[in-house]
Amino acid sequence: MTDSIAGDFLSLLQSRSVPVSASERGATAPVETQATTVFAFHYGEGVLMAGDRRATAGNVIVTDRVDKVIEIDATSMLAIAGVPATAFEMARVMQTSFEYYRRSQLQPLSLPAKVRALARLLRENLPMTMQGIGIVVPLFAGLDIQRTPAQPLIYFYDPLGAQFQAVGYAASGSGSGTIRSILSYQEKYGAPRPTEMNLQQAVQFTLRLLMTASEFDSATGGINPETNTFATIKLLDANGVRTVSAEEQGKHLRVV
Amino acid sequence: MIEEPYRWLEAVENRREYVREQLKGGSPAFGAKLPDGILLLSVGTGNSKVFELFDRHALAALGHPADIEKIRQAAIDAAHMEAFTRAPEDVSLRRLVSFGLSPQLKTSFEQIFSAPFLIEMLLAEVHPNRNEDLMVRLHFDGSFEFVTGPFIVVGSNPESEKAAFTWLSQQLEGKVDRAVIIETMLQAWWVLRENKSFAEIPSEGERRAGWRAAVQDRVLEIGWLERNSTRQARFTWLPFTPGS
Repeated sequence: MTDSIAGDFLSLLQSRSVPVSASERGATAPVETQATTVFAFHYGEGVLMAGDRRATAGNVIVTDRVDKVIEIDATSMLAIAGVPATAFEMARVMQTSFEYYRRSQLQPLSLPAKVRALARLLRENLPMTMQGIGIVVPLFAGLDIQRTPAQPLIYFYDPLGAQFQAVGYAASGSGSGTIRSILSYQEKYGAPRPTEMNLQQAVQFTLRLLMTASEFDSATGGINPETNTFATIKLLDANGVRTVSAEEQGKHLRVV
Repeated sequence: MIEEPYRWLEAVENRREYVREQLKGGSPAFGAKLPDGILLLSVGTGNSKVFELFDRHALAALGHPADIEKIRQAAIDAAHMEAFTRAPEDVSLRRLVSFGLSPQLKTSFEQIFSAPFLIEMLLAEVHPNRNEDLMVRLHFDGSFEFVTGPFIVVGSNPESEKAAFTWLSQQLEGKVDRAVIIETMLQAWWVLRENKSFAEIPSEGERRAGWRAAVQDRVLEIGWLERNSTRQARFTWLPFTPGS
């Protein structure tokens, strides 16, 4: 029916002359919303991925209700750091592409292919990255179903699209320095170590990490149980992706 | 030949007969609107008769595998293009059939110097509100009907399809148990497949044993569009063993 590559949604878009993203920008770009803290780590039951909910433009807080951890399909999720306009579009392209492949080819896309698909989007975003107005530095987690039992893995990227597998954890965004320091300490000297934590411990630890990051980084929104403002937390295990609701986070936080 | 209207009509009629002849022996498909979702059922070789199209959409078909594949691919392309350029909520079965698949099938059928699509199918769309569920019966010539009742049968022959539908409707009136519905549909599948009469239908024992024996070397393809799911993609495969 089409002359696109079988199962490749981006080539289908090209065959129908639908642009994926803008490749050129003017010299005087508007101030864009950015800055964030997202991270992922292996805990006892799988991978936990979390992000604060603040979006900023310069010194202005735009909103404290952004979801930066996005379910891409039943077995993969993305945490976005950088310019939301570009990052959300990348997430949308990935969501449609992965499902398009699965439905049209009657098999799920492999984890390496998913990891490279995001790398490809980052490479195609290179002109925006070089101009400094469309930079995206995401984290990705997916289930490797080639392994028995299926194993969730974490990947992080540089702005040009290089991909790296994280052994224990990965973090991105303006508050990531704080997060990485604490995760490194916890991994080496903590009790329990992140990989030994159960769900409740992992969620508690996550919320405390974000509260700490927000003390040092004004672009990272903390959490506020009184206003029911929590983080976005998603879990990935052999059963797929699951969201930890605000109510559930509040419950875990209260149990100390 | 096509310069003369009568010969064109004759050619189209011959074409219709040709398609029906080719479709004989195709494995029938069934659909049912139920309180928790929509069921699609057929017997094939695995991933050959029942397919997921989009988040809330599925297809069940009989016919030539290459033609099923072309239509399936066209529907998937159209649905994903619509979802990407607008939103997943804008993908609608009514538009997919009325403006996409039906005109394509009609054009193909009436171009008498090219091969027609050898296909009969049903398409389904599940909604949060049961009353908005849609099932469409789409024919090889592009004609289609929106199904108002809870059940639908896709057969290769209009008469036997109607007889199967009448029998199924009587048997399943008021029933919502999925296992009972699957069992009854498989009995109807066997009667159609064996070209037996619904007027003098074999006993229930024969029907039960019949379909179980007939599916020995085949795959039960039972798709389910879940109404209240937390996932965007509502389609799942239902396990059903002949012994159950």
